[in-house]
Parts: sequence; C-alpha cells; structure tokens
Amino acid sequence: MGRRKKIVQECEKLMDKPEQIRNIAIAAHVDHGKTTLSDNLLAGAGMISDETAGQQLAMDTKEDEQERGITIDAANVSMTHEYEDRNHLINLIDTPGHVDFGGDVTRAMRAVDGALVVVDAVEGAMPQTETVLRQALREGVKPALFINKVDRLISELQEGPQEMQQRLLKVIRNVNELIRGMTEDMDDVDDWTVSVEDGTVGFGSALYKWGVSMPSMQATGLDFGDIIDLEQNDKRQELHERTPLSDVVLDMVCEHFPDPLDAQPRRIPRIWRGDAESELAEQMRLVDDDGEVVLMVTDIGIDPHAGEVASGRVFAGGLEKGQELYVSGTAGKNRVQSVGIYMGGEREEVERVPAGNIAAVTGLRDAIAGSTVSSVEMTPFESIEHISEPVITKSVEAKNMDDLPKLIETLRRVSKEDPTIQITINEDTGEHLISGQGELHLEVQTQRIESEQGIPVITGEPIVVFREQPTGACETVEGISPNRHNRFYITIEPLSDELVETIQLGEASMDMPELERREALQEAGMDKDTSQNVEHIYGTNILIDDTKGIQHLNETMELVIEGLEEALDDGPLAAEPVQGSLIRLHDARLHEDAIHRGPAQVIPAVRNAVHRGLIAARVKLLEPIQNVRIDVPNEHMGAASGEIQGRRGRVDDMYQEGDLMVVEGIAPVDEMIGFSSDIRSATEGRASWNTENAGFQVMSNSLQEETMKEIRERKGMKLELPEGVDYF
Amino acid sequence: MLSFVGLGLWDERSVTVEGRETLRGADRVFAEFYTSRLMGSSLDELEAFHDCAIEVRDRAGVEQDPDPILDAAADADVVFLTAGDTMISTTHVDLRMRAEERGIDTRVVHGTTAEAAASSLTGLQNYRFGKATTLPFPFVHASDGVPGSVLDTIADNRERGLHTLVFLDIKVKGSSTDRRNADLATDERELEEFMPADYAAELLSEALPETLGVAVCRAGSPDPLVVADSLSALAERSFGDPLHLLVVPGDLHLLEADALRELAGAPAALVDEHTV
Ligand SMILES: Nc1nc2c(ncn2[C@@H]2O[C@H](COP(=O)(O)OP(=O)(O)OP(=O)(O)O)[C@@H](O)[C@H]2O)c(=O)[nH]1
Ligand SMILES: [Mg+2]
Repeated sequence: MGRRKKIVQECEKLMDKPEQIRNIAIAAHVDHGKTTLSDNLLAGAGMISDETAGQQLAMDTKEDEQERGITIDAANVSMTHEYEDRNHLINLIDTPGHVDFGGDVTRAMRAVDGALVVVDAVEGAMPQTETVLRQALREGVKPALFINKVDRLISELQEGPQEMQQRLLKVIRNVNELIRGMTEDMDDVDDWTVSVEDGTVGFGSALYKWGVSMPSMQATGLDFGDIIDLEQNDKRQELHERTPLSDVVLDMVCEHFPDPLDAQPRRIPRIWRGDAESELAEQMRLVDDDGEVVLMVTDIGIDPHAGEVASGRVFAGGLEKGQELYVSGTAGKNRVQSVGIYMGGEREEVERVPAGNIAAVTGLRDAIAGSTVSSVEMTPFESIEHISEPVITKSVEAKNMDDLPKLIETLRRVSKEDPTIQITINEDTGEHLISGQGELHLEVQTQRIESEQGIPVITGEPIVVFREQPTGACETVEGISPNRHNRFYITIEPLSDELVETIQLGEASMDMPELERREALQEAGMDKDTSQNVEHIYGTNILIDDTKGIQHLNETMELVIEGLEEALDDGPLAAEPVQGSLIRLHDARLHEDAIHRGPAQVIPAVRNAVHRGLIAARVKLLEPIQNVRIDVPNEHMGAASGEIQGRRGRVDDMYQEGDLMVVEGIAPVDEMIGFSSDIRSATEGRASWNTENAGFQVMSNSLQEETMKEIRERKGMKLELPEGVDYF
Repeated sequence: MLSFVGLGLWDERSVTVEGRETLRGADRVFAEFYTSRLMGSSLDELEAFHDCAIEVRDRAGVEQDPDPILDAAADADVVFLTAGDTMISTTHVDLRMRAEERGIDTRVVHGTTAEAAASSLTGLQNYRFGKATTLPFPFVHASDGVPGSVLDTIADNRERGLHTLVFLDIKVKGSSTDRRNADLATDERELEEFMPADYAAELLSEALPETLGVAVCRAGSPDPLVVADSLSALAERSFGDPLHLLVVPGDLHLLEADALRELAGAPAALVDEHTV
C-alpha cells in the first residue's frame, strides 16, 4: 500500500471520533513563514520528504504562487499526529498573508476552531497580525502563537539570550494586548491570551525546522543557551533532529486547540441565528453524526478533472455521495457526486465525511463560498463578512471576439470562487470590469484568466472605486412619476458610523428575524420608532417606511425598492455606489389602478426623488484610503515620510522599533498606485512597507468637482453636473 | 389649437364624424399607441383613410418631452390621437393642462371606450358599475398570482352589489418575466401579447371559482362576442382574437339577468343565484 493511501486510511479511521479531531488555520502577516511552517508539519506527518521540507512550500500548489513566492489561495490538508498515545486527525488550512487576499482568511476561519498565529521574531506583530487575529476571534476561533524566524535573531542579529528573551516577550505582550482588546466584549470565552508557561506559545525556525515550547524544553532538556550554541555553530540539522518543529507544534495543536465537541457549542450561536431551541441546533452543538447533514461552504476551487469543488465545515450529520442537499439562496437541490478530504494539493475520495470535519465535495453546482448546504431547509449561517470592499477596478476585454462567451463564463466563476472580487459584465461594449482588494489581487486574477483558461485579454489601467455619501440632512423632496399620477415624498440623512459598521458586520440585516434586527439597530443608536419601520437594507443604506395606511403601497413597495436600488447603485454625482444613507419615505400618492403605478412609473419616480434628495443632503464623493506603515533605517526616514506626504497622505506617527524607524500614516489608494517602485528608489531599497485598506473618506472640496468630471468623462456621461450640485 | 381625438374601439372607421373632420383640418397629427391600439387596422391604413401623416410618439415623447407637440400646437392646428378616448384610462389631462398653461386652446373629441362597450354589449346598467381595475400578468408586481388590490376592488364592489369592469393587461415583447406589462412599453410595436379572457378568468377563478363572469371580446368590431358563465367555466373556453375584457357582475337586476341569459348564454341557475 502506498504511503499516501495509508495516511488517508488513518485519517478515515479518526474522522468519526470528534474528540481526536483538530480543525486549525495558520494565519499571519505576509511572509512571516506560514507555508514554510506547513511544510514542516507535512513532513512530520510523512507526507513530504524531510529533506525538501522548508523549501518545497508544498501548500503553494499553484504555479503563480511558486513564481511569486507568496500564497494566494488558502489550501487545505489533513494529517494525523500521535500525542499522548492517542492518534489525532488534524485538518489544516494554510492561509495567504498578503492583504489583498484577506477574504480567504476570513472564510477559512469559519471552517476551523483554532488559529495558529505566526509572527516573525524580527518584524514582530504587524498590521496583518492584528487583522488575522480579529478575523479569528470574531468567528470564535481560539488563537495560539508561534514565533518564527528565531534563527535570524541568533545568526543575523547576533542577539544573546537576554536580548532575545526580551524581544520574544515583547512579541507575546503585543499579541496578548490585541487578544485582550478584541475579546473584552466576548462573554462566551474566558481568558484567551497566550503564554509560555501554559504552552500556548512556541518558538523556532520553520526554515531550519526546529522549534521549542515550555513543555518541549522540559521534555528534551534543551534551553535557549543550547539552542543559541547549536544555531551559531551551524548545527541546525542536529537541532532539528533533537527538537523537531513539527512535533512541538503538532503537540501544541492537540493539547491546546479545542476539538469540535468543545468548539461547536460555543461557535454555533455566534455564526447561526436560527432557533436555538430546535433539534437542528442541538445536533449542530453536539456534532451529531446521525443528525441532519449541515455543511457550511467556505471555499470553491476548480479541479481540472472534477470541475468545481466546494470545501467547508461539516457541522452535523455525515456527507455521502448521492445525497440530495438544499443550497441556501437557491431553489431545488444539488446531488453530491463525491466527498473527500484534502491531501495537500489533491483530494482523496472517501465514503463519508462526518460532522466535525472539513470536507471536499463535488456536485454542489449552486453553492458559492458562504452557502449553507443541508438535508433539511434551514436558516442559513451568518454570511461571512469580509469588511474590506473592493477599492480598485480595471477593465478586461477578450482579445479575440470568439473568446467573449468563455470570458464571461470565466469572470462569473472567478467571483464565485472569490467573493471579494466583483464583476460587472457589460455585454454591449464587451468591456467588463473586475474589481478587487488591490493591484496584486487584480493582476493575479487577470493573469490566471490568461494562463489557466487560455483566454488572451486586454486589461485597462487600474482605477480606484469611488463612493457617494450624503453629508447633511435634507428637507422633503417629491418624486413624480412620468404620468404624474404617482408621487413619493422622501428625506435623506447620513447614517452614523456605528450604524454603517453594524450593517457591514452583518449584525443587522434583512435576513435575520425582525426583532433581532431591531435590537441590533437600536444598540447601534437608532431610535425605536425608526428601527421598527425599516423596510429595506441595501449596501450600507437603509430605507425607512414612515407612511401610515396608504392604500396599495404594499403592492408597490417592491417597485419602490427597485427604484431605490437603481438610484443607489449609480449615485447622482458620478454614478458611483451610494453608501451610508438613511432614506425615509414619508408619504406617497398612488394611482388607483395597478397598471398606472407599474414599473415604468414608480421606478423613475423613486430614482429621481432619491437622487434629488441626495443632492439636497449635500452628497459628496468619497475615495478609498489605506493605512500605510513603512519600516526604514533612520537615514531614509525623511524620504519615506515624504513619499506619504507627497501623495495627499498624512503621517500620523513615527517611532523607533529596534534599529529601524517606523512611519505610520494614511494615503488615498489612488495615489498609492505605483508606490512600490517609488519607495524602493527613494530609500535605496532599504524600506519594507505594508498597506491595508481602511475604508472610504470624503475627498476634499477642492478635488470634488474635478474628480467627478474625470469619472463622468471616463463613463461617457454628460460632463455637466446635475442641478443643485453647487456646494463645494 | 390642440385637439384631443379619440379613435374609438376597433379600426379606422370607429372614429366619430367630428373626429374625422378635425383630423382632416389638422396641420399636424400626433398619436400614442402604448396604452392600447386599434386591433382592426394598421398605422398605414389609418393614414390612408384619413389622408394624413401620423407622427407616433413613445411614452417618453409624451410624458417627459411633450414640448415638440406643444410647440407645434402654438401656431397651428394639431391633433393628438389615441385609441378609445384620450382622457380615459391613460389620461392625457396633463398634456392638456400644459397646453392651457402656454395659452394654447384645447378641445376634446370623444371616442367610444371599453367602458361604454362593457355596458352596452352586456346589458349591464352603467349606473351599477363600481370601481374598475386592471388585471396585470403575474410577476408584474413582483408577486405571483393576482394582486390583492384587484381582488379587493371586486370584493368591495360586490359587497355593495356593483359590477366590476376588469381591463386585461398587455405584455411587452422581449422583456424578462418580471417586467412585462404595457406600462413599460414605449412604442406600440413592443406590445405583443394581449391577455385573453379565459386566462384572466383562470387567474381570478382561484379566488372566485363559482362567481359569474362575462367575457367581452372584440368590442367595436363587426363580430363581437359576449359570453357569461362561472369564472372557472370561462377559464376552459377560448374566445379568439383580442382585445378582450372581463366583467364580474355584482347583484343582477331582473332585466340585466335576462340580458345575460339571452345575449350572453349565461346558465339560468347561475344567473338566478346573482339575481336579487
Ligand atoms: N530565516 C528564516 N526564514 C524563514 C523562516 N520561515 C520562513 N522563512 C522565509 O520567509 C519567506 C516567506 O516564507 P513563506 O512560508 O512563504 O511565508 P508565508 O507566511 O507563507 O507567506 P505568504 O503566504 O505569502 O503570506 C521565505 O523566503 C522563507 O524561506 C525561518 O524560520 N527563518
Ligand atoms: Mg504562504
């Protein structure tokens, strides 16, 4: 029997023993060594050779990942590990660290119960460290810490035991500060901070494959002095053999991460809003293998042979081939064609994947990342919110007309696989838009269309995505239908930041029971009457129906909403999406007969009223901004901060960290295009930098009109601004 | 001068003599056919018969951009045409008021309408009709089946013993299922499917199966057809070419009951149930 088959068999034996299962993700700031660490674990489990581990980056299965040296797609693998005389099944997801692929991290967190957060000992906790921690904790996923690249402290920075200890403690302190802040309001967890004494912190070198923790040091008798000795004398192989990283980390995983039986009772109430008293809820909490089948799809991948493969967490029941399952948000059922688990880049089919595991499933045609798939109709899981909306967009055109249908199909699939990508198909012009999290995100996706699908494409220059938002409240405006028989009276005001965030986080949505929604909105500061009249939520905009007893309005509301959505999709200033507005419908006059208050009357009347209302509420253009952090030697600090300031940016903080200076600030995404090469030449390549999308900001008045005209020209709109836009 | 001329119910000959003379004296003629159209004649036939050129306007050209019509009427005799009567169903009173505002004289030359036909072909007294309603194709209002307001109108009328005239929807060509009532049409060429009375009866019979209904088909043509039966029975029949409309009678007066039996073949038992 092949080695691989044997591992699969071992895994299968453990799959229905939830107390022996650990579902974990490895998450970190970019380049801190997640994939290198994963190599160690794979080698430890006998899945790749010990020699190549650390360089093979086996979880970076895609060609472009190996070429670029970064992880792009989250990748799953299952392995086994003996700990305290008991075999354990570990389902692991290696996640990308680059901020553009953050959507993958959020989704992975839904599938797992524990997150191994990796931090580079030299760089310390970085912006994405904070982000991945937040993503984990929001999902009720328990963290543990591995401090990587400790070899660099010894060999490169030549630190002694004292200095090293201080540095490591500082990393732990910083991480704990973050955890404490984020778990403060979580009453379903006790202390989730990490500590050396508890064994929830490990140290080591993923590249040289050694690692230590408090329990391992006690077992092997190796202390930091010995480690420094061996490392300095180039006895890394000996170090690896005496205290292999994989054992240390996998022991930590088995000991400290919750098994599904422990995790699901805590996680289900966080991620599912259905009836807590129901039998189904009980089955999910208890990881009931005999219960109804419940799968949450967290990822859609493409297999060259099998087509679309959905992977996700089985919360109850057991997945088997031939099952007919409901897919949330779609009608009808899908038939499961095969079920399996991941062995590195490939899938291995198995008979059955029971509750508490991560499964790979084919045949779920209608599923997208985020679908709830189940054997009974049920309340879907909370949607997996990735807060960062697309900020940058570019046009994609097929070089050959013949490829057009295939390109459209591919683009649709791309957005199914990666929900943080947004696609706008324009069948008339053939010029489609692809929007995403950053330049790299779009570059990777468009290159994949060419290399994987073999469709030559022409892409436009990247441009940033804008938003429109009211900045004040307006008096009542009247919207009149073309036949003048129907009239709508509305006002518009800005939503508070807190309400916007509540909607963005999915804490208030139209999918949830009305009472719960009301409570969430009230908690975020909405008054009681208003919260009771919420008729619709679209993007981060809310429609309030303040009318009373208007005949026929209920029949017309669908059309009112259609008109509203049209108006908000294409705002009045530059046809960019509107955000953060509260629209109140105060009164309406409707024609007696349904035909005379149909779509052609109501939609334009409402659209027009909303646009005029927005202008009266002084709607302004917003642009995306980024947090920027630059780490740079002292002598280049001026040049580095100049690079931020020269881009309409603002430097908020400068401080020393180790032998480097850190410059922190914000700058518009638009100005950050091309930043990499400029900062490199300004600092002679000595700077490292990080950016992170930080939402949208109102543009300064002096730029409003000019930008609007630019966008209008690009979109082929009338250059003349709509009436009443004169408040800049 | 802006004259509003109703073309009547069926073809180029349904117009009144006065209407025809007004057309003959006009300098320019505009028309809209998105509300309804003359089933018995084409635009060419209409133009040939009246010996004039007719400029057809789409919905936007009437509702949003009426100035060219008004400009023309400012110093010439202009006629604005519709099927039926220009002020009934889709009222063009807005256009008339805009003209008056600009100091343009206006007048209305009536045409016969479905409303008149519904009484005169069935023998149901016009005094005894309540509110009228239009039955849209399903999905038009984003909900399946019959909108509540249609059933409410019929129920309210019946409560008071009154008849209900039910206009039937017109579908728009090539539009997706959720957007297909005539309200969306901007041009008569987009109108494609006219809801037949049997289909309407089927929709209504879900809520009112044993209720008496009267199908009035091709009013104004040489061979109009009027059939009275229970709505579920009407749903089983077919009535030929459009346009159709449906009347749901309330209480029947003696002479009304006789007329439905004699002229529309209503089953005696059913008519008796409705007679007071
Ligand atoms: N010196 C040293 N280098 C390491 C260590 N671990 C990883 N590296 C190097 O750091 C670089 C990034 O490693 P990866 O494992 O690809 O990092 P990652 O976190 O998976 O990166 P992304 O997935 O792109 O975010 C590679 O050049 C590794 O060889 C370590 O322990 N010591
Ligand atoms: Mg990686």
